[in-house]
Amino acid sequence: MADPAPISSPDESASTLEGDLVKRARRGELAAYDELVKRYQERIYATIYHMTSNHEDANDLAQEAFIKAFQALKSFKGGSTFYTWLYRIAVNKTINFLKQRKNKHHLSLNDLDFNTEHNPDLVALISEKTPHRDAGLAELQKKLNESLLKLSEPHRMVVVLHDVQGVSHEEIAEIMACNIGTVRSRLFYARQQLQGHLAEYLQST
Amino acid sequence: MNKNEDNFETLKQLLKLKQHEVPPPGYFNNFSDQIVSRIRAGEGGGAQSLTERLESVAPWLVHFLQVFETKPGLIGAVATSLCLLLTLGVVVGERSDSASKTILPTAEFASAGTASASITGPPLVVAADSTGIVASTNPATSLQPVSTLFGLPNASLFQSASFVPASR
Repeated sequence: MADPAPISSPDESASTLEGDLVKRARRGELAAYDELVKRYQERIYATIYHMTSNHEDANDLAQEAFIKAFQALKSFKGGSTFYTWLYRIAVNKTINFLKQRKNKHHLSLNDLDFNTEHNPDLVALISEKTPHRDAGLAELQKKLNESLLKLSEPHRMVVVLHDVQGVSHEEIAEIMACNIGTVRSRLFYARQQLQGHLAEYLQST
Repeated sequence: MNKNEDNFETLKQLLKLKQHEVPPPGYFNNFSDQIVSRIRAGEGGGAQSLTERLESVAPWLVHFLQVFETKPGLIGAVATSLCLLLTLGVVVGERSDSASKTILPTAEFASAGTASASITGPPLVVAADSTGIVASTNPATSLQPVSTLFGLPNASLFQSASFVPASR
């Protein structure tokens, strides 16, 4: 999950294979659906996790999203790609969950991987730009997640999909069923908000 | 704007930290198995919620409702226009009501000398008795006093009460 693969269009053979898997899964072949789950489990989990900042919630919601996708597979007309359709289900499920939960956020953060301390950008950010030079990565992680949770769900979703997962504006528009202009404006507004919340970590020394 | 973009670059670097947050080791090893076993256990054909069914049948309606969620101001606008429509309906209803009341006496004058039953027309009038009351299915014209050929309208409706002792 260190380098999230953008969900750009897969090549033709992979797309054909995916189409075949979708057809078989629609007929009720669980082995084919198992293969589809394996393809997208990390991205779907990551999207939900970054939205909720809670591993347990992300686990439940990701499983429910995949189960719901299987239930609704017969209504999948192929108007969009399977992954866009799957993302839409996961996104809607997550936003509905967060609305029900309102502001009762409970952080259950995943550990940072080994590569974090060797990421030059992050190391530079902490050692040079942070006024609190003793601030550790864990503290920064907590602050970042808290700041994300202060955003509204649609704004947070755009930031997570674009800035964290590398999804393009066009694909986000398709996933969130809105136009590209809305995606851009939400992204700009969300970044501004985050800048305000994280000012002490972003200002130059 | 350039300064903003520059600041956004720093923010984007900071957001990269999120990419390093990983679930416990081996988490994805059994993830798909859990889903498949839940589907096998019967959840795959489970009942869908109303929203989920609506989403598969009429996604446009779900998107329409989602617009309300993202733009709460629209709810107020729609509610206000609904209230205005309702008020307009009530006002128009009352006007037509009073108009039917004013039309009725005019019709009475126009048809003076004819039978009272013919004033309001056959479909509305059920019966006219000697008291001058027209029973009608139309609530506006029902129990309206009508003129009679013999003196004051509804004269027999009110009779002065008098008591004469039996000894006289």
